Formats: sequence, structure tokens, C-alpha cells
Amino acid sequence: MVHFFKIIDRGTNAEGKEQIEVIWVDADEKDQVEDVQICVVMVGLPARGKSLIARKIVNYLKWLSINAKSFNVGTYRRTETPKPGAEFFDTNNTEGERLRRAAAEAAVTDMLQWFSTGGHVGVLDATNSTKSRRKWIKEQCEARGCQVLFVESKCEDDEIIDKNIRSVKVNSPDYKGSDPEEAVRDFMNRIRNYERVYQTIDDDEEKDLTYVKLVDVGTQVVINNIENYLQTRVIYFTMNLHITPRSIWLSRHGESMFNVSGQIGGDADLSPRGMMYAEKLPDLVSKIVPEGTKLKLWTSTMKRTIQTAQFLPYEKKEWKALDELDAGVCDGLTYPQIEAKYPADFKSRDDDKYNYRYRGGESYRDVVIRLEPIIMEMEREDNIMIVTHQAVLRCIYAYFMNIPQHRSPWMAIPLHTVIKLTPGAYGTEMEMFNAGIPAVSTYREKYGSAEMGESEGAASADLSMLADTAKTSQEPDSVPTGPAPVEKLEKAAAKAAAKLGAVGESVGELAHKLEQEIETIEDKVREQKEVIEEAVLKRRRSLEVRGKKDTDGDTLLME
Amino acid sequence: MANSVPEGAPTSPIRKRRQSNVDVDAIHDDPGSESMAPAQLYATESGQLFHSGKLAIVTVGLPARGKTHISVALLRYLRWLGVKTRAFHLGDYRRAHMGEGKDVPADYFHVNASPSSQAIRKMILEKCWMDLHHFFDEENGQIAIYDAVNPLAKGRKKLEEEFRKKGIQTIFIESYVDDPKIIEQNVRNVKISSPDYANWDPDAAVQDYIRRINIKIPDFETITDSTQSYIKMINAGKRIIVNRCRFGYLPQRMVFYLMNLHIQSRKTYFARAGISAQEDSYRADAPLCKAGREYSKRLIDALMKHREQEYKEALEEGSDDPETPLAVWTSTRRRTVQTAEPFIQAGLKIKQRPQMSQLNPGDAEKLDDEQIQEMYPEEWEKHQLDPFHHRYPRGESYHDLAVRMEPIILELERDKNDLIIIAHESVLRVMYGYLMACSTQDIPTLMFPRNEIVEIIPASYINRAKRIPIPGVKPSGEIV
Repeated sequence: MVHFFKIIDRGTNAEGKEQIEVIWVDADEKDQVEDVQICVVMVGLPARGKSLIARKIVNYLKWLSINAKSFNVGTYRRTETPKPGAEFFDTNNTEGERLRRAAAEAAVTDMLQWFSTGGHVGVLDATNSTKSRRKWIKEQCEARGCQVLFVESKCEDDEIIDKNIRSVKVNSPDYKGSDPEEAVRDFMNRIRNYERVYQTIDDDEEKDLTYVKLVDVGTQVVINNIENYLQTRVIYFTMNLHITPRSIWLSRHGESMFNVSGQIGGDADLSPRGMMYAEKLPDLVSKIVPEGTKLKLWTSTMKRTIQTAQFLPYEKKEWKALDELDAGVCDGLTYPQIEAKYPADFKSRDDDKYNYRYRGGESYRDVVIRLEPIIMEMEREDNIMIVTHQAVLRCIYAYFMNIPQHRSPWMAIPLHTVIKLTPGAYGTEMEMFNAGIPAVSTYREKYGSAEMGESEGAASADLSMLADTAKTSQEPDSVPTGPAPVEKLEKAAAKAAAKLGAVGESVGELAHKLEQEIETIEDKVREQKEVIEEAVLKRRRSLEVRGKKDTDGDTLLME
Repeated sequence: MANSVPEGAPTSPIRKRRQSNVDVDAIHDDPGSESMAPAQLYATESGQLFHSGKLAIVTVGLPARGKTHISVALLRYLRWLGVKTRAFHLGDYRRAHMGEGKDVPADYFHVNASPSSQAIRKMILEKCWMDLHHFFDEENGQIAIYDAVNPLAKGRKKLEEEFRKKGIQTIFIESYVDDPKIIEQNVRNVKISSPDYANWDPDAAVQDYIRRINIKIPDFETITDSTQSYIKMINAGKRIIVNRCRFGYLPQRMVFYLMNLHIQSRKTYFARAGISAQEDSYRADAPLCKAGREYSKRLIDALMKHREQEYKEALEEGSDDPETPLAVWTSTRRRTVQTAEPFIQAGLKIKQRPQMSQLNPGDAEKLDDEQIQEMYPEEWEKHQLDPFHHRYPRGESYHDLAVRMEPIILELERDKNDLIIIAHESVLRVMYGYLMACSTQDIPTLMFPRNEIVEIIPASYINRAKRIPIPGVKPSGEIV
């Protein structure tokens, strides 16, 4: 089943007939995806950018609500052998060979286990450099009903390899505390050991495999035996990745008249303060964009973004896909008005903001889908600046910073601030530049009041929240957010109780319902607590094993 | 033989734009000076898009390898994106030169052909090249698809050189087939319907055709030059080798498109969603009313009966192909999802795609022409001038819709099932516009009454549209 109605209200109309109010719910997230499980198996020598590609694929798919996860064999191996020398990777070293095989098996076992709990696309990040290893993986996966897509990164250009080793490898946990030149030498020896057994995917002998082979960063691409649309999308995505350094500058539009009046949606003009931001923007941008940078500027088709960008001297393009999330029937209303007019909707939106679709409008999920071509273009492009809207920026930011769906719609993106993102091998770096022009806060927290803050300090409060998100997103496995604080629940309960008093009838029944609701919330809180505790424990264990290095570099290492 | 005319092929190589007969696939018509294409993102003064400059796409491959299928499909897609593209099928020029029913000399394709054959070859080539260069030089064309056998490495090198001198980048697209089954299928599908094989046994005709190609074109060299930009499709896309195509958006996009292209024949059906209960409005996203529910049942009945009938006929004609499965696509709007419910009950798979949601009418919603004219006189005027690109305040234009539906077009090409697409009329117009190469003038006015299912039957050279009536339903969707 792909959809159902959820009854949110019952009552009788003027004629005494029963009337039921319902909202439309998508029951199955997977309806966006083909009904397949795919194991993406990376193939290639060390320092060929495998882990970068693997990480990008996982981020991209997760962002599209496709349940994806990377399994890095190096991480498994490292628990046994934290800092191996090159001799460990010598194929004549039987002990090394045994440990490496054990690590690969452990990773595959975990991945298959993960598939059986509903995983969609697993990425096995390792060298997988022999035919027999690939055959073994394929058999393991197919026995579980998973399709296998091999992604080989092959590179003959020594210059690219050397650059990769120097920029990425010497920072690997394997070489923590070693002399960089020594590390490079050791790594070259490690590669040599792999080279002895490395077999590129054989176009004849392995012609039944589904694979894509990227030679010299995509100068030649061989695509073999593609089975479905999702695979073609993954391949097209990897073909668009590039490694040229660049930055992306993001900004919301300046404060609009609707921001001032607290209305959502609309196509309002900028407020006087918003116009001040627009006028200051060229100056601010010239200070933070290196001189001589060729910049492309994208806006939405709405007045407030076009007005904000009007004084910037760059090549401009308007995209309909960058327009703000469509609030449907709620367009032009304030939050208190929405709460009064559509109380059930107001609450369901807070319960699951990512999936909630405004009546006749869009959900965050819908926005992400329409933004996909934009993301693909952003991957291809070099330096770009985008002036758009809060919800759209949340989605774009979530893509680059790998923010999970239950958090991304709640991020505060302040007005009158430019955000700079610089994607790199280890993740994306974020910097913020506030124009110092006051604006209203348009941020409303989960289960918070419908009334908006108007304080002077609003902008800085927003900033700290976003910075916080950015920091945590750099963790390898972002743990779920904490439970809604108990005070908040109490506040909600008090509010509900107040409402009960006002209604005055069938209080007992409603109170009972409320009690039940609180119980389920408490259950959820307990569940979440357990998940977090487990994650923390797991994390602590892995930290102990790996030493104190704490970035998402681990998933990046090109093992 | 080489003279066999694909169905719907023109008698003269380049036709003028059809006169608004939207039931005929216009892919081979010259779009003329029309301003913009359905999914064109922007216009430039030079008329060139995606910073790609001018491109020559040169096909390589023996007859019956699906070259025409690939070049027509690419032509359809590139035109849809707004790139000024034209295909030059050398075969069309050959047929036009030789005249109805006459074949070229036996040694026409040989390396050491007789002087008279060489002279014919030269004349045909010259005519084709004149048109091709005219397209680049005089008509501001951006991509020319030169559809010919181009069998020899030396000849290809020369071609590339010629184009380079004019500042045109060449991408070769080779269709290489070593699977005899695919060749046979291609021959069966397009080649042996010619009058030459009128009374032949189909199997014998296929074998004769293949034998004659091999005699006619004895020398063929597959592309191996790693300095050239090429896309080699092996066995109808089972393997694709892409070489030196990283230089821009268009080549990458073409590769993505070709990855999804297949040669299996499948049908696409278009149907409207049923009518809704409450007053219909974009924002209300109303559910179906009783008549709408009834319509959905009659729709599936009519479609299933039609498919059964066609399958029976195919069996009687001696086909042993299994019946192609049917898949259902809808938008995420309630009416389309609910119209698909009888299909779910029949056990069919449903895909919901938010990109297929109807055109957002914005502020013009629920206003009739007079009201719009009164309330938004300026917008009204702009809309009359360009109903495809104009968007009312807060709304979407057909152009916005076409751009947002581009991923759907690729997914549509990939799917091998027969498909029924249940969507709002605005969405059907855009999809039909892609499959039948409609102009931006025609798309906003295409009609999809609810008492018909539109069926698109694809073929390599030209698509055909057919209308299947739904009994017991009025054009408005009310029940008789």
C-alpha cells in the first residue's frame, strides 16, 4: 500500500451528518525508489578516490530518502591492526592476509545484516582487487537477493595519485604521528603490494557483472550491464563529481515584508532592512570571495530573492526549482493563524516536519525531489552563489553537510547572513558571514509557540544553532537528536489541559486520549534514549580503538 | 534493402513543420524559427546552450544495428532540451537521389568502388553536406546528427578534421552488435517490411537481408582511437564505453539518456484522473467523487479489454512474445492516486511521483478568461502571446512543468514495462509533447478528454498515437 488517510478529526455538520476530517499520509517511503536492494562495491587500488566516491554516493542517496550506508573494510581491519606498516599488506604475509580477509568478511556480514533490516543501497568500501573476491561478494549478495554494482576507479596518471596521497593519505589514522615523507613512502609501498595482486575488472571474463569503470577521473567510462534506473542515476552522479577545489556561497533573501508581518509563503517585496542587506551584499561578497573568482549566481523566481541579488555583478540565472516550499492553503497565513485554522495540521507538521505536506502544497521531501537536478548541477559547477529561501537552503545545506532528515527541517538559517561551503575530501567546511543588519527571527522551534520572537539577539541565536548542527554533522554516524525535553512535553500538556478547560465537554474522554498520547511520547523518548546510549557506547568503543582522531575522515580513507 | 523505407519516412530529406496535426509525431519536421523548445532552460543570443559550442554527432555502425533508433531518440531528447538539433540521415538522401524503388549499385559501399559508383556516392554526400553546413552556418544550428554507416577509421578521422576546421566538436556514437539475436530483431522490426520482401517467409527474409549487408559492406572497423570523443553502445546498451566526453553538460547528459534507452518495444498510455468531489482547486487537492470512482473502474476495464484484444491478435498473427507487464504511474495528488486504486486491487505496481503534479495555476486559479482579463490585464496579455512560457503570479508555466518533469522523461525511457500514466491534463500535455515532438504552441492546447485513453506506440523512426474509447464515460468524466 502506498498511501492512506489518517483521521484527524470527527464531528457532525449542520445537518447532523457525521463529518470526518482526514489528512493524506504517505505510508511507504520506498515508493520513491525502485523495489530493489543494491550493493555498490568499490574496486581499485589505494589512493584512487574510492572512499570519496563512496561517501558522496551515500550522502546523495540518503538525502533522497534512500536508505544508504557505507561499510569501510579499513575501519574493521583497524580494530585489530591500528597502525600497520606496508609489510602488513604484502600478499606473502599470511597473518596480514588472514586479518584482512577477516575484516572483509566482517564488513560483508554486517552489510548483509543491514540489508535484512531494510537497507536499500549498501556501499562496500575496500579495494576488492581480485576477481575471486568480487565473485565471492557477488555470490554473497545475490544469495540475499541484492543486486551488485561494481564501481571501479582506475588511475594511470601518477600526478593525480601523488596529489591524492599527499593531501589525504598522510592524514589517515594509520599514520597518526608519523613523519609525512615517511608516511608517503610507506603508503607507496602499500600500493605496490596491492598492485601485485590487483586485477582490473575484466571486460570479457567478468562481462556478466554490472559495473562502471572510471578511468583517469572519467576520461574513459565503461558502463556494463545496467539493470535499473537507480543504477543509472548513481552512475550519472559519479560521472558528474569533480575534484577541482571550489566553494559555494548561500544566502537567504533579505528580510521581506511577510517576514516582518510573520506571514509565511507569499511573493512579497523586501522590507527596508531587507533592502539594506541587498545593498550591502556586493560589499560583503567582495570581501569573502577571493578576487578574480568566476562566480555564477542563482536565484529563485520570487521577488525577494531577485531583489536581494539585484546589485551583485555576476552572471545570474533564475530557477523555478529554487522557489520556496509551497505552503498550499496556509500560504499567506501567520503561524498563530495556521494553529487556529488548522490545529491538527499544525501539530502533525511538528510531529514529522520532513514528510508533512501542506494541503495543496509541498513537503520537505517534495522540495528535495525537485532540487535533485539543482544538486547535480551544483556538483558539476565550480564557484556558485545561491540566493534562495529558508526551506530550500535547509535542503541544500543538508545535502552538503549530511544532516539527517529529522533534523534538517529544524535548522535555523538566519537572515542577512552568507554561508560559505567548501567541499573537500574529508567533508564540507562551513563558514558564516553576518552582514550585521538586524532582522526578525523567522525560526520557530519544535512544539514551540506559534508566536515568533522579535528580539534583537535573534540573529545571533540562530547562528549558534546552525554552527552547532555543522559541528555535529562532522561525526561519522550522526546519532538521533535528543528527546524533546521534558519541560516541553509538560508545556504541551499544560497547553492541552488549558484547551480542555475551554472545551468543557467530554473532558474525561479527551483527558484519557491525552494521557495515552503522553504515554506514547514517553515510550518514544525511552526508545530514543536507548538508541543514543547505544550509539554513544559504540562510538566510545571505536574511539578507544582508533585513538583520539575524531572526524568523518575514517569513512573517507581510501583503504 | 538499402532502399527499404522506414514507416513514415519522408520522400524528401527535410520536411517543413507539420500544420498543427498533433496526432502525427513531428520529430522529423523542421521546427523552423520557433522560439523555444518545451524544456529549454534559457535562450542565448548566439542560440547556443550549455556552453557546449557546436557539436557534430556522427553515428557509426552497420545497417540494422539500431543507429537510426539512437539518433532519432537523441534528436527527440535534445530538441526537448531546446538545443537546436537536426538529424541528417544519409539513407534518406540516398533514397531521394536514387528514386522510388531503385537500389544503389552493388559496389556502392566498397572501398574500391567503380568510378561510376564513386560518382554517385560523391553526389549524395555533397547534397547531404550542403544541407548540414547550411544548418550550421546559416540556420544557427548547434548540433547536427550525421546518421550514416561511417565504417572506416580513416574516413572518421577525416570527418573529425573537417568539423574541427569549422570549430565544431565531433562525438562519434557507435552502435556495435555482436549478438545475432539483436541484429535479427532489428532487421525484423524495421527492415523487412519493405516491398522487396513482400511475399517472403520472415525468417528467410531476415537471413537474406543480413547476407546482403555483409556482401555490400565488407569492411567495417570499430572505433578504437582513444584521442577521439566517442560513445560506443555495444549490444544495444548492454555495455557503453564513453571516451573523452567530460567536456560539458550536454555530452554527460547524452550519456545519461543513452544509458536509459532500450530497444524493447513498449506502449505508453495516458489517462486523466477522475473528477473530484468538492469544488476542485489546486490547493484543496480534493478526493474523487462517486462519478470519479466509477470512472476509475471503467478506465481499467477499457484498458484491460483493449490489451487482451491486442494480445489475442498478436498471438493470431503468430507472435510468440509474452505479454508485456503493465505498470502504473501517478502523481502524488489525491485524484490521480485514487484513480489508480482499481489498478492496485488488480495487483499492479504503482509509482507515485511528485514531479508529475499538475501545473500550479497560481493566482489565476478558478478564474475564467473574463475574470483574469479584468483582474490581471497585463498578465492576460502576456499569456495570450506565449501560453507555454508565461506564468501567472505564484503559479507555474508549462515550461516550468516541462523542466520539473525532465527526470521523469529519463525514467520513462528506462522502464521496459507498458505504462499507464494517470495524471492531470497539463502533465499529459507535456509528456505527449515529448513523445510526439509537439511544438510549444501546440502543447498548451492538446486535448485529453476523459472518455479516451491515449496510446503511444513507439518505433525507431516515428511514434504513433492512438485513442481508445472508454465506454460509458462522457468527455467531461461524468458517467453516462
